[in-house]
Amino acid sequence: MTKTIEDIKKLVEPDRIHRSLYSDPELFALEQERIFESTWVYMGHESQVKENGDYMTLNIGRKPVIMVRGRDGNINVLHNQCTHRGAKVAGKKCGNARAFRCCYHGWTFKTDGTLIGVPHKGGYEETHFDIKDPKFSLKVVRSQSYRGFIFANLSSKGADLKEFLGDAASSIDNMIERSPGGDLEITGGVLRYRHNCNWKFFVDNLNDTMHPMVTHQSVGDACQSYIDELPKDTPPTREMDIVAPFGSSYENFDMMGVSVGPKGHAFTGGTDSIHSNYMEVDGYIEAMHKSYGEEKTKEILCVNRHNTIYYPSLTIKGAIQSIRIIRPISVNETEIETWTFRLKGAPDDMLHRTMLYSRLINSPSSMVGSDDLEAYTRLSEGLMSGGSEWVDMSRFIGREERPDGNMTRAIGTSDISLRNQYAAWLGYMTDVPQQEEL
Amino acid sequence: MSDKNCPTTSEITALINRETELLDDKKLAEWIALFSEKGTYWMPVAIDQADPLNHISIFYDDVLMMNVRKHNLKHARAPSKEVEIRSSRLTGNIRLLDFDAKTGNMTVKCNFQAVLYYNEQTLFAGQYIYKFIWTGEKYLIEQKKVNLINCDASHGTIITYI
Ligand SMILES: [Fe+2]
Repeated sequence: MTKTIEDIKKLVEPDRIHRSLYSDPELFALEQERIFESTWVYMGHESQVKENGDYMTLNIGRKPVIMVRGRDGNINVLHNQCTHRGAKVAGKKCGNARAFRCCYHGWTFKTDGTLIGVPHKGGYEETHFDIKDPKFSLKVVRSQSYRGFIFANLSSKGADLKEFLGDAASSIDNMIERSPGGDLEITGGVLRYRHNCNWKFFVDNLNDTMHPMVTHQSVGDACQSYIDELPKDTPPTREMDIVAPFGSSYENFDMMGVSVGPKGHAFTGGTDSIHSNYMEVDGYIEAMHKSYGEEKTKEILCVNRHNTIYYPSLTIKGAIQSIRIIRPISVNETEIETWTFRLKGAPDDMLHRTMLYSRLINSPSSMVGSDDLEAYTRLSEGLMSGGSEWVDMSRFIGREERPDGNMTRAIGTSDISLRNQYAAWLGYMTDVPQQEEL
Repeated sequence: MSDKNCPTTSEITALINRETELLDDKKLAEWIALFSEKGTYWMPVAIDQADPLNHISIFYDDVLMMNVRKHNLKHARAPSKEVEIRSSRLTGNIRLLDFDAKTGNMTVKCNFQAVLYYNEQTLFAGQYIYKFIWTGEKYLIEQKKVNLINCDASHGTIITYI
């Protein structure tokens, strides 16, 4: 069975999508090809490959790649595939290499991809092989940096990264500005959380503000029950600051607002979010004032967003300095990685808060994340039923929306981010120029 | 005050058995009572991870968070907690790493295997490292550190303390 463009168009309507989007292995394979392997996908931050030769191995869709800082200090993304028989030339998740030597026949490539060595040279006379021929170098993937955030794109066509990010890039800007030193650094390892569900359930949920009151009620209640056990004058704690707002009221989420932009990007929050009422961290405001002055500091900290999704691969929490990477594995398997940024020039306690946040919210042990995942699991199973063919996303359609730069701003509990994502999804899935040539 | 005698192997074993039994029996309130006021439960995400604050962990709970989890685990509307959680923990190869006769405090390490059943059966294995403090009457846990052999793997939901 092969789905035509017309078949796919029938699956997405303005206010609902067909349940097969989450379960059809053929659609999953097409998503890999037409979305993940055709657009800007997040690789990592430049601080993860500090020294020349530092590398990380990753995937873009199904394609293994290496992000490596070359001898010249430039960061390249290379296909992780030997040009001889095709084995991956780098096997470890990360490391430092002077060159990549294939473990099978020893073909060796520089960190810019150039083939520099083939053992036992004789034997290729009068063949198509020539060590100097660039077609025997590791193929370079188009990659660009937005202020240290490295993205790669397997397609050589289409917009530059800056244009792709659009006004949603302001969430990255804000996270950087929250650093008194004006710079970020990845630190403190990674959490990997295996989700036994389609990747889109996770992405759908990022700006779904109608679920916390229901899905996370138990966490809010558990915090309250514990507070009730404590003596009356017990000072508030940071843990409660972080966990309790997941039980915020619908009205609160309405007020936070949501912005959506081209290519499926979106963020909830504006000047208010579930992060805006955290207690202060000693020394942080002082450090910010010193760097930016009071006015500008206020302006920076006024921007308080919850999740920003850079569809389809990256979501960031600027106010918390943690990011998550979405790695689809199969139609019903997804890996979510959580990474942490240190704000340069900020007190260590800011980093400790981010770590606490990620443990409480994004860890496999989280009381919040585990209930989200339980909901995704039930969605996966429920949507296998044909009792209802469609998934509704009609809330506030065409209402309470206004333009805002190249984005659209809407009431916080609108389904607009879903509609926007699936409009982007449909765009990617049906924009297949090579088929028109047939 | 005279120095504290070093606990015997069977005394140490009893402490560990008590702790794991309370988890198996899901008696969270009694389990939390085994910890000192400053007690922590730590499950690192990296091998040889030395730092729970500047590095991410799977768990690093103080008594406050243990209590919140206690309420969450039995909440009627915690969707992930609707399935019954059953578990069985085995410990062995118990060794005393450190004993301070002045304070009576000690560090104990043992191997463990924990089988948890919620939705499906999952096996966790590794080492427990306990820091016990002596109050003059009994031992309290200052820290239980759980080193999983696959700490850095991609885990599904880890629904409760291991
Ligand atoms: Fe949620």
